[in-house]
Amino acid sequence: MHPILARAERLASYLAAWLVVAVLLAAVLTRQGLTWAEALALLLPICLVYGFVCLSAWYVCRATPLTTSGVMRVLGSSGLAAVVASGVWIGLERMWTTVLDALPALGVSTAQYEAHEPFLFAAGVLLFLLALTVHYLLLAFEFAREAERRQLQLEVLAREAELRALRAQLDPHFLYNSLNSISALTAVDPAGARRMCMLLADFLRDTLNVSSRDQIPLAEELALTDRFLGIEQVRFGERLRVERHVDAAAAQCRVPPLLLQPLVENAVTHGIAGLLEGGVIRLDVARQQGRLSIAIENPRDADTPPPSRRGVGLDNVRQRLTVMFGGDARLETQADPGRFRVELALPCFTDD
Amino acid sequence: MTDAPSSRLRVALVDDEALARAVLREYLTPMEDVEVIAECANGFEAVKVVSELHPDLLFLDVQMPKLNGFEVLELVGRDVAVVFVTAYDQYALRAFEVHAVDYLLKPFSPERLADALTRARERLRRGERLPAQELVAAARPQSSRAGRILVRDGSRVHVLPLEKIDYVQAQDDYVCFRCEGKDYLKDQTLTQVEASLDPGRFVRIHRSFLLNLDRLARVETDERENRVAILTDGRRLPVSRSGYTRLSARL
Repeated sequence: MHPILARAERLASYLAAWLVVAVLLAAVLTRQGLTWAEALALLLPICLVYGFVCLSAWYVCRATPLTTSGVMRVLGSSGLAAVVASGVWIGLERMWTTVLDALPALGVSTAQYEAHEPFLFAAGVLLFLLALTVHYLLLAFEFAREAERRQLQLEVLAREAELRALRAQLDPHFLYNSLNSISALTAVDPAGARRMCMLLADFLRDTLNVSSRDQIPLAEELALTDRFLGIEQVRFGERLRVERHVDAAAAQCRVPPLLLQPLVENAVTHGIAGLLEGGVIRLDVARQQGRLSIAIENPRDADTPPPSRRGVGLDNVRQRLTVMFGGDARLETQADPGRFRVELALPCFTDD
Repeated sequence: MTDAPSSRLRVALVDDEALARAVLREYLTPMEDVEVIAECANGFEAVKVVSELHPDLLFLDVQMPKLNGFEVLELVGRDVAVVFVTAYDQYALRAFEVHAVDYLLKPFSPERLADALTRARERLRRGERLPAQELVAAARPQSSRAGRILVRDGSRVHVLPLEKIDYVQAQDDYVCFRCEGKDYLKDQTLTQVEASLDPGRFVRIHRSFLLNLDRLARVETDERENRVAILTDGRRLPVSRSGYTRLSARL
């Protein structure tokens, strides 16, 4: 949308500026022999209309942005547009002269107008170039505001992702089921119940601890997912098996906290929990030069339709990767009927 | 089948987690008027146990692999009383509240379990059954439709994927699902089936027929001006006037 036409008060001040231009031009013409009445009778109406013509400068600005077009191109298209616009302006002047001639009752003499056409043409070119400059400024202003808004949006997104991560670790289903396991173990295996309490306490402490930090070493994230899986293994018993292949060189890579935990949680809730006999969750971590690649794979029940909720956790991880690494990180999923795989590829930065 | 309140209550425990079953067994074992006759690790086993051992009451977990608690209820709800057990499931909890169904939240105390037992005996004495169909529908996340049809055949459960169903036919008090050349009878009304399926996929073409649109080859008009749906396998089904209107709207 045109920035001036979009708002009534902007349009009003823009047209007011044109009235001032009309008076100034009229003042020049009175020094060259016209009366104030003759000069204003001509300039007030045609300046107002030319004001609207000059709004088209916006489209010239849009078509030739200063940042990407060459100097010659900007100058060429500006000059051409200014000459064409000024031609229209002279056309307006002639049309208005005819109208004034047809209305002798107004008592305006138009005889001298033609002599001033060269001056008016030059003024028209300059005025259009001025309008062009104003529009370029407006465009730059809008661009800066848009960039600011995008930055703000990104920050909100990061904050939101953090909140959601915090909420995810307090997944009520996970917590209540863990408490129920402890309740069961107290009678049959008191030592096991105590171990489970410790696992749960450590897991909660870890998540609270890491979620307040911007990034953590991958080793910490892996330890946290191990605790999570340890708790789930008490619940699911033989049904939950885990195979880890972790490249020791990857341990110090910095990652956003709770990057893998939601993915591993998905693998349990939407994978293992839906299978009568359970299955194996595979976790592969490799580091090659400056890149870290992580894959999490789980079997799933081919007869159960995939859950819609899974998307939320994945979106969250994807968003946080974008906040931390921009376009340099990738998250891809492969969903087969009986298998689900998430692959992450991200740059590996270490402290040293 | 319903025992007098004074006799021993025969219960079965259904939960995919061994520890969750262990708590129930631990609480129930000292009770003299209760006998745990079976433990089931999944819904299929539960259906089998209900068919073969006829328990009075099931303690039924909501989240289980293959068949969830609501699906088990849909299959056996007429033959057995049920107390639901869940850790947390917003849709299930809402369904329980709406239909005033008693349930246990994990972890629960022995006292809470005893209360649930007392109420279950009460319901058994009055011969009450849970509104299975309504619960199944209420527990489904909003706007989602059934993805498959479950049919119980004695102690067995048939899972019919929707894409394999040709049509559904009303037969007295039952509906009959036509699937891969076989008929499966289910104790349900055609209107209930219609409400649970995607209306963009299954269209009520007649008072007695619900048709899978993928199976429709064409519609013909016979010599007495009646419309007939010709299926891809050549089978002919009647189309009523209002059925034709619905069909036209879909095509």
